[in-house]
Amino acid sequence: MAPSIGTSVPRVDGPAKVCGSARYVDDLVLPGMLHGATVRSDVPRGRLLGVDLDPAFDWTGITVVTADDVPVNAVPLIESDQPVLARDEIRHAYEPVALLACEDRLRLAQALRHVTLRVEPLPPVLTIDDALAAREAIRGADNVIKRYRITKGRGGAAVEGCEVVVRGVYETGWQEHVYIEPNGMIGWWDGDTARVEGSLQCPYYVQKGIKGVFGLPDDGVDVTQAVTGGGFGGKEEYPTLVALHALLLAKKSGRPVKLVYGRQEDVEASTKRHPSRVEIASGCDRDGTLRAVSIRVLFDGGAYVTLTPVVLSRGALHACGAYRWEDVTVEAVAVATNTPPNGAFRGFGAPQTIWAIERHLDRVARTLGTDPVALKRKNLLRLGDTTATGQTLKESVGVEECVEKAMAASGYVEKRERGPVVTGRTARGVGAAIFLHGAGFTGSGEKYLKGKVAVDLLPGGRARVRTGSTDIGQGTETVFRQIAADGLGIGVENVDFAVPSTANVPDSGPTVASRTVMVVGSIVDAAAKELRARLEAEEKARGATRSAAWERLAADPARATSLVQYEPPPGVVWDDATYSGDAYPAYGWACDVAEVEVDLDTFETKVTGFWAAVDVGRVINPTLCAGQVEGGTLQAIGWALTEKLVTKDGKILNPRMTNYIVPTSLDAPPFTTTLVEAAYSRGPGGAKGVGELPMDGGAPAVAAAIEHATGLVLDRVPMLPEDLFEASVKGGAR
Amino acid sequence: MSVAGLALHPFSTPKTLDEALALLAERSARAEKTVLLAGGTDWFVERHVAPAEEAGVLPLVVDVSRLDALRGIAVEGETLHIGAAATYLEIRKDARVAARCPLLAATARDVGALQIQARGTLGGNLASGSPAADGVAALAALDATLLLRSIRGARRVPLAGFYTGYRRSVLAADELIEAIEIALPPEGSPFAWRKVGTRQAQAISKVAFAGLAVVASGRLARLGLGMASVAPTVALLPATRALGLSKPLGEVTDADVEQAVLADVSPIDDVRSTAAYRRHVAVRLAQRFFGELRAL
Amino acid sequence: MSMETNITLTVNGSVVTLEAPPAARLLDVLRERLGLTGTKEGCGEGECGACTVLLDGVPVNACLVAFGQCDGREVTTVEGLGSTAHLTPLQEAMVTEGGAQCGICTPGMLLSAEALLREEPRPTEPQIREAIAGNICRCTGYQRIVNAVNEAARRREARS
Repeated sequence: MAPSIGTSVPRVDGPAKVCGSARYVDDLVLPGMLHGATVRSDVPRGRLLGVDLDPAFDWTGITVVTADDVPVNAVPLIESDQPVLARDEIRHAYEPVALLACEDRLRLAQALRHVTLRVEPLPPVLTIDDALAAREAIRGADNVIKRYRITKGRGGAAVEGCEVVVRGVYETGWQEHVYIEPNGMIGWWDGDTARVEGSLQCPYYVQKGIKGVFGLPDDGVDVTQAVTGGGFGGKEEYPTLVALHALLLAKKSGRPVKLVYGRQEDVEASTKRHPSRVEIASGCDRDGTLRAVSIRVLFDGGAYVTLTPVVLSRGALHACGAYRWEDVTVEAVAVATNTPPNGAFRGFGAPQTIWAIERHLDRVARTLGTDPVALKRKNLLRLGDTTATGQTLKESVGVEECVEKAMAASGYVEKRERGPVVTGRTARGVGAAIFLHGAGFTGSGEKYLKGKVAVDLLPGGRARVRTGSTDIGQGTETVFRQIAADGLGIGVENVDFAVPSTANVPDSGPTVASRTVMVVGSIVDAAAKELRARLEAEEKARGATRSAAWERLAADPARATSLVQYEPPPGVVWDDATYSGDAYPAYGWACDVAEVEVDLDTFETKVTGFWAAVDVGRVINPTLCAGQVEGGTLQAIGWALTEKLVTKDGKILNPRMTNYIVPTSLDAPPFTTTLVEAAYSRGPGGAKGVGELPMDGGAPAVAAAIEHATGLVLDRVPMLPEDLFEASVKGGAR
Repeated sequence: MSVAGLALHPFSTPKTLDEALALLAERSARAEKTVLLAGGTDWFVERHVAPAEEAGVLPLVVDVSRLDALRGIAVEGETLHIGAAATYLEIRKDARVAARCPLLAATARDVGALQIQARGTLGGNLASGSPAADGVAALAALDATLLLRSIRGARRVPLAGFYTGYRRSVLAADELIEAIEIALPPEGSPFAWRKVGTRQAQAISKVAFAGLAVVASGRLARLGLGMASVAPTVALLPATRALGLSKPLGEVTDADVEQAVLADVSPIDDVRSTAAYRRHVAVRLAQRFFGELRAL
Repeated sequence: MSMETNITLTVNGSVVTLEAPPAARLLDVLRERLGLTGTKEGCGEGECGACTVLLDGVPVNACLVAFGQCDGREVTTVEGLGSTAHLTPLQEAMVTEGGAQCGICTPGMLLSAEALLREEPRPTEPQIREAIAGNICRCTGYQRIVNAVNEAARRREARS
């Protein structure tokens, strides 16, 4: 059997998707189903005094749920500070307060307008600076959600003794996921069993939420993933709330309830990427050898804790970039504000700090009068080097090859040497970013997660993978089949993938953190190989053929299934107390080169070419892998150039696709993607993670290219034409 | 309301223009509201944010998208005649428009993306009165005349006299826009179309600039200018036009143009852009056009 | 003037007479009355293109078309292209080239591409990008969709 790993097996869910027969949550109809809607607050902070239903309105056939109907009114996550429905306190402008359901959508829409919230407004905390000033305390006395400190060597104080000291401040704004399918869930009760089906990344997160709020045992909750129209982190923690709301309405009405958000509600209420400010002081030798760095990372967590501590952690751990530093201090602080809670988004804190360190090194290069890539290359982490947390890199560091490949493909060096090309009122330039992304959960995360996967032998020579890892478009279904097929030594067409439902699949841990292929894939591989060993043993013991052995095992429930739990690699040591050790088992590495054209009158930036070279270890499926790289990169380009969430008094002014601007096919550059394969010994076939890495490099590469083209230095994303114009007014434009 | 409320809307599909006009007359006499529906690219969008509507007080939706009298594109003598319900896609694909009025063809191509071009119409763009309307900016530069009709008869109104304020016009309650008439410039007349939007397609303009000129022995014999998103209505830039006609092209300096454009525009800060940026871009696009004319 | 009207139209090659509110969106009628849920709603305001269908062969956003405007017209949805057992070259290329990831934009994307290929059997890359500019994809970065349309053009030519 020719191996399947390394070949571009067409995605297995493809035919249903191109024929319109794939069923997403909004395509599902249950008998007797009601439609649900959410009543939300209108002020960013206040005391909720009451929920009034207009007595003049006919409420027949309309189910109303308020905080009084919630058994345990807290969404269980890292902290349980977020209510399912607000009772006393309003903490952001889109806080859910009441729920309505009705069979008729028009009546439902009308009823929504007959609910009035009585709220006494309080002064809100809306920015990082507001929060740090702590004139209003909305969390503890200092509004701080979480702090980390990383130190290496003599710490950041060593910067002051260096030959060349450079300082800078780098900022990023919110980013909305804009998965094209908004959030949605159907919830219903089967006796005492809660069932939900919907758009989600992590069925076991949703299950945990439902168990906690309704006080149910594991087998009292079944969560099923419907075909999911994109996630990008946006459907990691948020769907739990949607599922809880649907189930509350279902419980009270006794009917199945579908709760599907409209686009505006989704943009307003769901999580977004954390806004950030990163302050960096660095020291280096005159020859460009980096020595010491002191970094302060500030993230805006929004109204509730959600996943902010973990996002901040990843941000802090990536703050030093792909470079060697002898002396390091990273201080990271996340604060609370009265804005919708920020949460998981592809990259998970790293894009913000990679943006900062890449822009900072561009600034150092400018100070030294050298090319940024030359400076960065000189200081790249190599095998045997230690990171800021003291982790020694022992294998799978393909960054140097990524840089070489990206340079060669893009012609970066020649283009930089030639200088910006100005034709009429258009300037063309190139820029690069070099970066890394830790694959899998941070530190001890995987040890606590204990992810599990089952592979079953089925009659007829077939096998089936059962996992809680979901396919949200990235191709899990297909690559897991490939891994299992090779493990078993069978054709990929003979492997099935079970619909992720908590009743049927084991908890593999969440579908996040670039861990699906590397971590969960490795247990798919292990389970498949264990079954193969059983088959071989059976053949030997009974002198049977492979197919006879297969059918015998498949028919024996005690031997048909291999359930394997993830074992973190030995020698990976992490200390949460000192925030030191092996932060991640392996890293993806990459070099991006962007070429841009800037209109010197209108300051519009068009990315005209993009070259990405990424080391994600052994590539399971080249087409799907490159698709991840390109899609993630375009999200980064959108974040860099057009995606700006405009807020006023805690409310979002552009919560629609007509004014929150994501790239179209005419905004996207042609992509040239090179896959570099520095194998990782513990990944399936040598694979690492790929999902998040491409989100990290696009923005700094584009910023460097704009700088090359125009001389304008932008240290904040997004970089709208208005921002370039402003920078040019302050001086420096051609 | 949600779009679920659409089911409540009374709806009518008149077969002829006369039937549509009679309906409009009848309803306006009774002070009843009527929505003329063509491409729906504004009306359906507005439903999402419109207040919840209760049955009984809803406007009548009258589909005019397929009235033959509103549909054609024709060249009569030196006049281009475009039915108000001709779509941007039809305009963009029309060979006569491409040859004789390339400015309008270029504009049509920049409206939304194909799906919007397939539905959107100049009549709808004019009637909804958005100051960001690309099509209207082009019509301004072309000094178009609007043919308005009611059962009382027809009248012609120059675009310059059509709007009375932000989303307000001289269109009477019983009237509709039947057609747009454009006095064709000589073939090969220089023109400019530049849309500065939020992205390369599917964008609403931050600034859009349309210019059309007829040059004769170093002077402008005809100059039309239009600009979107820089004033409460699409701007016709009268001071800049006057400047262009006032002296030989060679004597019109960038500083002159800047001064004139700044007198002509009054942009605001909004969710799409800033007043300062819009002023800058307005000036630069006009300067570019004058520069191109000087270089002829 | 009525709230429900009988309208006759051709959907995916079949003549259908249907009583539905004429001001209702074509999108809702397709999904809820005809069960054609392949047409998706991503924004409801003509921005994302997920609800793209062909109306008399031309791509339109079904969220911006009134059902009452469809009398006597021909509507093609993704269900009218091919079936999982018999994919069209375009559908096939979309799968093999990696043009579909989460799949929610895919039906609309296919219809825009189909309209292009009918009009322009060998489109250039700029033509392809322009034809799908009204269909937002958040997953792929578009490169592989462009490749798929190119590949589909090649396969269609090879077949004919």
